[in-house]
Amino acid sequence: MKQHDRGSKQLAYRCGSAIAVALICLGSLLGQLSAQSGELRFCLRAEPKTFNPLKVEEDSSGAIRYLTGGVLVRVNRQTQELEPGLAQSWKVSKDGRQISFRLRSGISFSDGTPFTAEDVAFTVQQLMDPALHSPTGDAFRSGTGNVETKVISPTQISIRFPSQVAGLDRLFDQVAILSQHSPKKEMAVLGPFMVADYKPGSEVLLKRNPNYWKIDEQGRKLPYLDSIRLDIQPNRDVEMLRFKRGELDLINSLDSEYFDKLAATSPQLAHDAGASLDSEQLWFNEVAKSPIPGYKKNWFRSANFRRAISEAINREDLSRVVFRGHAQPAMGPFSPANKFWFNPNLKPQTYSPDAAMKSLQSEGFRLENGTLKDKDGNTVVFSIITNAGNKSRERMAVLIQDDLQKIGIHVNVVTLDFPSLIERMTQSFDYEAIILGLTNVDLDPNGEMNVWLSSSDSHQWNPQQKTPETPWEAEIDRLMRAQASTSDLKKRKEAFDRVQEIVVEQQPFIFLVNKNALSAVSANVHGAAPVILSPQTFWNAERLSVPAK
Amino acid sequence: MAFDTPQNDTLLSAHFSLRYADKPVLRGVRLEIQRGEVMGLVGQSGSGKSTLAMTILGLLEKKRAHAEGSIQFQDSDLLQLSERELRTLRGRSISLVLQSPLSSLNPALRIRTQLKEAWRAHASGTNSDCGNAIRTCLESVSLPTDDEFLRKYPSQMSVGQAQRVLIAMAVMHRPVLLIADEATSALDVITQSEILALFRALNRSTGMAILYISHDLASVAGICDRIAILHQGEVVECGTTEQIFANPQHEYTQRLMAAMPRILPAGPSIQHKTQAAATR
Amino acid sequence: MRSESMNLGRKLACAVLVLVLAASAAANWLAPAGYARQYRDATGAPPSRAHWLGTDEIGRDRFARVLYGTRISLLLAPAAAFLSTLMAAFIGGLAGYLGGAWARIAMAVTDLFLSLPWLFLLITARALMPLNVSPLVSVLVTFLLLGLLGWTTAARVLCTTAASLRSSDFVRQARAVGLPGQRLFWIHVVPNLKPVLYAQFWISIPVFILSEANLGILGLGVAEPMPSWGSLLKELEGMVSVGEEPWKFVPLILLVVVVTSFQLLLSRQEEIAA
Ligand SMILES: Nc1ncnc2c1ncn2[C@@H]1O[C@H](COP(=O)(O)OP(=O)(O)O)[C@@H](O)[C@H]1O
Ligand SMILES: [Mg+2]
Repeated sequence: MKQHDRGSKQLAYRCGSAIAVALICLGSLLGQLSAQSGELRFCLRAEPKTFNPLKVEEDSSGAIRYLTGGVLVRVNRQTQELEPGLAQSWKVSKDGRQISFRLRSGISFSDGTPFTAEDVAFTVQQLMDPALHSPTGDAFRSGTGNVETKVISPTQISIRFPSQVAGLDRLFDQVAILSQHSPKKEMAVLGPFMVADYKPGSEVLLKRNPNYWKIDEQGRKLPYLDSIRLDIQPNRDVEMLRFKRGELDLINSLDSEYFDKLAATSPQLAHDAGASLDSEQLWFNEVAKSPIPGYKKNWFRSANFRRAISEAINREDLSRVVFRGHAQPAMGPFSPANKFWFNPNLKPQTYSPDAAMKSLQSEGFRLENGTLKDKDGNTVVFSIITNAGNKSRERMAVLIQDDLQKIGIHVNVVTLDFPSLIERMTQSFDYEAIILGLTNVDLDPNGEMNVWLSSSDSHQWNPQQKTPETPWEAEIDRLMRAQASTSDLKKRKEAFDRVQEIVVEQQPFIFLVNKNALSAVSANVHGAAPVILSPQTFWNAERLSVPAK
Repeated sequence: MAFDTPQNDTLLSAHFSLRYADKPVLRGVRLEIQRGEVMGLVGQSGSGKSTLAMTILGLLEKKRAHAEGSIQFQDSDLLQLSERELRTLRGRSISLVLQSPLSSLNPALRIRTQLKEAWRAHASGTNSDCGNAIRTCLESVSLPTDDEFLRKYPSQMSVGQAQRVLIAMAVMHRPVLLIADEATSALDVITQSEILALFRALNRSTGMAILYISHDLASVAGICDRIAILHQGEVVECGTTEQIFANPQHEYTQRLMAAMPRILPAGPSIQHKTQAAATR
Repeated sequence: MRSESMNLGRKLACAVLVLVLAASAAANWLAPAGYARQYRDATGAPPSRAHWLGTDEIGRDRFARVLYGTRISLLLAPAAAFLSTLMAAFIGGLAGYLGGAWARIAMAVTDLFLSLPWLFLLITARALMPLNVSPLVSVLVTFLLLGLLGWTTAARVLCTTAASLRSSDFVRQARAVGLPGQRLFWIHVVPNLKPVLYAQFWISIPVFILSEANLGILGLGVAEPMPSWGSLLKELEGMVSVGEEPWKFVPLILLVVVVTSFQLLLSRQEEIAA
């Protein structure tokens, strides 16, 4: 599932930072006194909205779910392979509608309640209950009808969905199993940690789950840590300051600017794990009923024009200047970091203002006194909007503005507050071009159905089409539906490879860069191996350790 | 003048009442001022002297102060005039000089500016016309006319100078009537007598009538031709200065006379009389 | 002794202002490149012979941007401050001077104005503006908005001050001289509101310069690539220590120096008048 990154939320907190800094000076003193042995500390950037793992929809709750929830299968964040969890083994049926799990025995929840297949059945029923509106459950909803759970034995269960669900097994990575009988409800967990204390607005304290089932290669019980203290701190400046003071052990998804500052003073603490799944892209408004002039719609709906813009953008410079080298020029809709799904036949997108100019000329555009005019003599001017406060997007816009000036196109850069931006993007369609990013938490591109189907709301360049308006969008629709109706990985991969090629050809999204996964890990932490997948630094929290004081 | 009749000698003839909301302040006041005379108006503070002066100039808020009656001045009834008509009279036909000279001048403006504004209010002409007018009127109050003086701010002058500036401003357009409301009360004795002398001189040289208002009977004695006594919103007695001093009719006037400072210490009998009046 | 040091201060202030104005006027000659020129191979550079104040994050010469930004901000911020001061004088001063129902209405309007959801209104203002406006128009509109909106607090103070002036002796005296109403207002009321007006004006300038920068988040304010002091000051956001890159503080120092100089220069008359 792709989501638009809500980077703009920070702005409200900015002015508070001075006060926050002052408070920290006080806090650090108290912090020293209360420091415990084997405690890992890092920040949540927002208040967690829920502790119910089925209701998770933002990062903070997601992090807590990752640390406390026990799952049947787990995507190894390093190898991107699916590994056994509470389930020792599993099997997806040929038709892709059914999955059966064989569970480990002798496991109990954090409060001592035994774990059985009944709990899995209960969790799945809850997950699919329309009344609960579980965002995690949405990924499983492929057709109408009820999901059937069949408990074969305390360690065996099979689950049957009303219709085929693509990439079914991997979806269970997000489903933390709830206890059917525990009086503690969702606070009884199967993961390595459990929530011990929550001070709203301040912190969440996790303690080790004494009943956690995993043991390491030496037979030691996991996790190694006694506790994890999660400070709720939206201010990035403060987060960095506290990290530098040694009051925090980890920072996930660092800004490239902070990264470089840290790397300059303590290079061993700054980790660049390479290109992530996250992408930044530019797209033009192709909505037929949008309130922009007709001649501009003609430009934007021309693949030739979009390709020319794409060719005129120097992606190398975007990576190098804006992200200080901590981003890779995007090759297409999927990052090469997505080991399995990335189409290896894709080439880096070329940068050539000359070629861009030629292809524009072939469509009747011409340069007059350094200004590009279309075949009817309209000056080529358009605005790019992006969300205010996101420095890297603002800078990309300015670089693109400069790049396009070289082919005679004048760009106006407008930064808008996030709600206004979204309103223009999804309601009024009153915009010309937009730069936004997509954060991608899912390796399986099936999660991007909502982006690529022309009838979808999130088909941003021209959403909610009754019938596909272009042949290539029809083709993408067909390929997306085809992959969803098979569980044959090879066929699915072929379909997605083709989708990637079409997108690069048509440039409905002009993919700019894939940002690197940047993080910071203090020297105290042993066993850290930051990766590109979320949660980058604490994906292996159960094996991290911090020397006891 | 050819048609000079006794009637025409009456410059201002007032007969009116005034109340603030429900509070009567002036009750059937009768007052006549002849051309060229210096008329004194005496009464203790709160008796309504300032209110009377302000009513003549039409400076009271129409909404709050209700006047009934008439004030005849040069063929028109001042109480019936519109604000616009009144404005053309103010400063040109009737002028006013207030009690405290320093606060009556705008502290933020140079003397020159304030005089200029006063001139421009009723005259138009070149800068040099204006300069001449200013010089003339400053000379008439014996003030320096040089640039250095004109560039001064009120705060840079003595009280006496400031009062002269105010008077200069008041006589600039040669009004037929000048109202001085406690114009000398805030001044020290020497300055007071200088200013009084100035009023007298201006009255003689320009023939303008002066309504000289004061709470102090002694200070008016020196310059006034006639004196009116105001007591609790009524003019209780009016006559020539000699009459008033020689033969005060009204009991209040007698008390005023008795309270006047004398060269000789006041006799015990008079003091007793005053106290008796006060306790009655 | 005192007047001598004041004179020195004035001369210094004068020299600073002349220098700053001349430099920004001569930006075309002084700056090594235009404000939009991106030296993409020298981003975030420290001061050097080629770039006296270094370059910004995308490699634009900071010195050039300061010079051109000075033009924008030094022209428009005082203009907006003047507008808002004028409006405060007019609305607050006139209401206080006229008194009665006028004062009540004006203060009710001011209260209403203060309680308006500004963020919402500014967002609406941006929504009404087309997206394709040139950077210059954008910054002009922004300062105009600031000028039109920034008068409220001062208006309240002015209203009470004017009300007390209205019943002052010198206004009564001036009325007795026969000055017409509007003349009274301009000659006798407004000059005495000066201290408040001056304060409003001088406070407004830096406030507007910063507001302009912050309005960038609403899509108002100066648009890229044009610089303004506000947009240059934004660079300081999130800086932890002064020591790291002191040259980035030049725009801030310039702002402080220019505002102080103006104040020094113009407050002299006030002191004499007081
Ligand atoms: N604006 C006003 N509203 C109500 N009453 C007033 C006002 N001005 C003066 N008065 C009252 O009118 C009376 C006369 O005042 P005033 O004319 O100032 O007296 P004087 O000048 O003789 O001292 C006083 O009792 C005073 O309280
Ligand atoms: Mg009085």
